[in-house]
Amino acid sequence: MILVAGGIADTVTELLCSRIEDCGYPYRLLDLGHYPAGHGMDVTWTDGRLTGHIRGPDWQLELEAISGAFVRFLGAEGRTPLAGLSAAQANELQLGADTALMLLLDNLECPVVNRMGGGMSNNSKPHQLLLIARAGLIVPPTLVTNDPAAVRAFDAEHDGLIYKSISGIRSVVRRFGQAQMERLDLLRHGPAQFQAFVPGNNVRVHTVGDQLFATRVRTEAVDYRYARRDGLLLEMEPTDLPPSVAAACQRVARDLGLLHAGIDLKETPNGEWYCFEVNPCPGFVYYERHTGQPISLALAELLHSGRMDVHTPRDASERPGQGPARAASAPA
Amino acid sequence: MHLILGHSSDSFCGAVLSRLTAFGLTAGIVDAIFAPATRIDLRIGPDGKTVRPRAAITLRNINPSDVESLFLRASGAIDPAGWNPNDHAYVQAETQAALLAWLTALDCPVVNRIGADLWYRPRNPLLYWLPLLRRAGLTVPEIVVTSDPEAAERFRRNLEADEVPGAVCSSLVRSQGWLVGPAEWAGVAALQNYAPVCLVEPHHTPRTVCIVGCKVIWDGAPTPLEATLDGPLRRFAEMAGLDLVEVTLGRVRRGWAVADVDPLPQLLHFAKRTQSQIVDAVTDLLQDTPSRTVDLAEVP
Repeated sequence: MILVAGGIADTVTELLCSRIEDCGYPYRLLDLGHYPAGHGMDVTWTDGRLTGHIRGPDWQLELEAISGAFVRFLGAEGRTPLAGLSAAQANELQLGADTALMLLLDNLECPVVNRMGGGMSNNSKPHQLLLIARAGLIVPPTLVTNDPAAVRAFDAEHDGLIYKSISGIRSVVRRFGQAQMERLDLLRHGPAQFQAFVPGNNVRVHTVGDQLFATRVRTEAVDYRYARRDGLLLEMEPTDLPPSVAAACQRVARDLGLLHAGIDLKETPNGEWYCFEVNPCPGFVYYERHTGQPISLALAELLHSGRMDVHTPRDASERPGQGPARAASAPA
Repeated sequence: MHLILGHSSDSFCGAVLSRLTAFGLTAGIVDAIFAPATRIDLRIGPDGKTVRPRAAITLRNINPSDVESLFLRASGAIDPAGWNPNDHAYVQAETQAALLAWLTALDCPVVNRIGADLWYRPRNPLLYWLPLLRRAGLTVPEIVVTSDPEAAERFRRNLEADEVPGAVCSSLVRSQGWLVGPAEWAGVAALQNYAPVCLVEPHHTPRTVCIVGCKVIWDGAPTPLEATLDGPLRRFAEMAGLDLVEVTLGRVRRGWAVADVDPLPQLLHFAKRTQSQIVDAVTDLLQDTPSRTVDLAEVP
């Protein structure tokens, strides 16, 4: 039995549930829009072993019966607050319930898309870039600074820059131009991330276990997610990756502890492949609908299979960027 | 220079600073990490095949190339004074993200060199550590997470049958727990109307132990039985990627169990003599300098 935890109105959750139904695989939807109201769990750890069940309004699922779990948390706007409580009490209890669910999923002995720790690297893009580079992918020259002079020097070194947020807070990627140069002194209030502009085609790679789905995106937009909003054309098509790039994509997803990831690449006119970011909770619907790539099917099959041979690191010794002080120099 | 990112009011920071300076080393505590004079300049690249992160955060006139080691005790909260709440939250997130990258890129000893998971959530409930504890060969008290009042009652009855008084209601959000006595069970049931509660088997008088690098430092000499836990404790710290971690152990019905894990140990939890041993071990780690240069070009 597959456990899907997400929002009914979320397109990714909706598509995945539809695909699981098409396949005829049994599943339960834990509706995070209403959770924890109407839901419950009774879970015991005895001698470190996990037993028990989780239940929804009209179902109960034994933990041993779960073949795979998918979770996609919702923002506050998608949640129904707990009734009859002050906002502070409701927030505290909802956070506690979410944490209970996350810890429960982390402790399951089956594929979980994705376990809690895997997604955290995305909260610091330059930290993640260092891990990406260690996995063998080329990253764009990057400057993180609150120093206007450093930006001017970096700009002089490169043929155009883009800028974006450093943290996981969503931002639109923009070209750095004269207007930004004139406002550069404001940077002293807080740092931003600047990268050399890399020309070429965007390629989004979705990993599902050990499968890869690469989608080439052709557009004039700097941030193709907003191409149509900016009145620019956008075309997508399935594409193949060079074997070394494909292997590096698998390695980076594995290193970050992600069974499912969205990896943002760009292929330059010279045939170089740059990696910009790894999204631990990718909205793959957009790509699947444009190209017909069977991403949701692969997810459904992974979750149904219960396969644990798709390896993700279980401790720091297998995870680059973390570990003993003196091991910092050791190749990851 | 040996840099301590933390607060001067933190006795651990003060003790490490004193020990380092006693050795004649240059050391300093930086508490307001992102005070206005801070200049962040972190460069990654330019050639991805030969990425050499050149990290530089100029902290209060400290030349970044002079940083010989880093003892990490705080993640750099920004004073909210003068900011509107939304802007403050944004700048806080951005600067903490920058600082994590800088720490990742540092090519000197860092205690603890943590990943994003612990950077953003340094204090976690015991359940977070459970898979690693189990793999290291350590046990935990019996734990129930339940929204079912009958299950809570069953847990209570089982404990009482073994003459264990009450249970610990443990917050999954904060590092807090409350002993649930006979009068509090109705309150637990009331909470269960809204969300699951975490109930933990209580333990006897706790024993604290600090793992520093390869050293397992007990607060007072360990009994032969306690000493058998040295290997599993060392293994746990290694798997967690922690050079410094405080573990609280307590006797439960099935023997010794881990009751708490804290990657930000508090010296005050230990006797004076043990504190000294811990500080010595930490300063040893911070002075360990051989082959520290990260050469990512050699990474396959």
